[in-house]
Amino acid sequence: RIMPVRWSRYNPSYLEPEVKKDSYQKPLEELTEEEREQMELKAVRPIKAAPPTLSSSVFSDPMVSKFTNMMMKSGNKVLARSLMSQTLEAIKRKQLEKYHKAPENEKETIECNPYVIFHQALNNCQPIIGLSNITKGGKTYQVPVPLTDNRKRFLAMKWLITECRDNKHRRMMMPEKLSQELLLAFNNEGPVIKRKHVLHKMAEANRAYAHFRWW
Amino acid sequence: MAAPAYPAWVTRWVSGQWRNKKRPPALRPPRPLALADKVANRREQPTEATCSTEMSVMMACWKQNDFNDAPCAEEIRMFYDCVAKAEKERKNQNEDTLSSRGNLPSSKVNKLLRRFPQITRYV
Repeated sequence: RIMPVRWSRYNPSYLEPEVKKDSYQKPLEELTEEEREQMELKAVRPIKAAPPTLSSSVFSDPMVSKFTNMMMKSGNKVLARSLMSQTLEAIKRKQLEKYHKAPENEKETIECNPYVIFHQALNNCQPIIGLSNITKGGKTYQVPVPLTDNRKRFLAMKWLITECRDNKHRRMMMPEKLSQELLLAFNNEGPVIKRKHVLHKMAEANRAYAHFRWW
Repeated sequence: MAAPAYPAWVTRWVSGQWRNKKRPPALRPPRPLALADKVANRREQPTEATCSTEMSVMMACWKQNDFNDAPCAEEIRMFYDCVAKAEKERKNQNEDTLSSRGNLPSSKVNKLLRRFPQITRYV
């Protein structure tokens, strides 16, 4: 029987598992000093169990998995994953259609790899500075603040998902709308990019309050 | 004889200081005349915002180029470098050494003083 545990913590001596196969295929001589020490440490210390989302296949992508997790509702990973794969397929179909219709000289400029489009669209959507509420003298001001990488990625993904859920036709399916948004973001157009620009404009308007920051 | 130089006790006596007008302070139950084991709580002055020049340069670039990111790639890269450096600096700075202003925060001082208290009585 499996007892559900609300929260558990490994002993700090447990190490993270190494999943990538190519790190184990390197011959001994090629490793640097630190890597040799790391290998010796791994032979002695216990190792945490790999979480089910971590996979060693070449087709797995941490960004794509994070996006699927954010799209998931009430734990329905099957549905979220199928939506994600349908989105990538839809992107590929649209790009192939454009490719076959384009004249010869433009065929190289059209990007057909949906993963490349996904990554580039997310990069284009990431804001560069954010606003944070800082209370000084009883009044709260919106102060422009640099964001960490995790926060930028999270904001980009969140904006894409909320945009697709709210502003679509009642009968339009999620993969179709998402592929549309991703292609627009890839070309630096579309409502998500607009939202990013709005945030940048507000930060620029509030740049006088930048000195309220203490970090 | 412009300013006759009298000794100090003469001037004091003449001023009526010792006739009930002013007495030397008689210390009634005095607190132990020794340093306490803690300092007063002082509000730490906030440090300045880091990377403000890079941010302003980037914003000027944005204003000129209508908030596109492509023409401003150089400024954005410099901003990111500055932010990474400031973040590393913050992680590496050890609070037990002197901070940038040369004063330890009052909590740390109190901890140290508690480790080495003032000896008030001899056994």
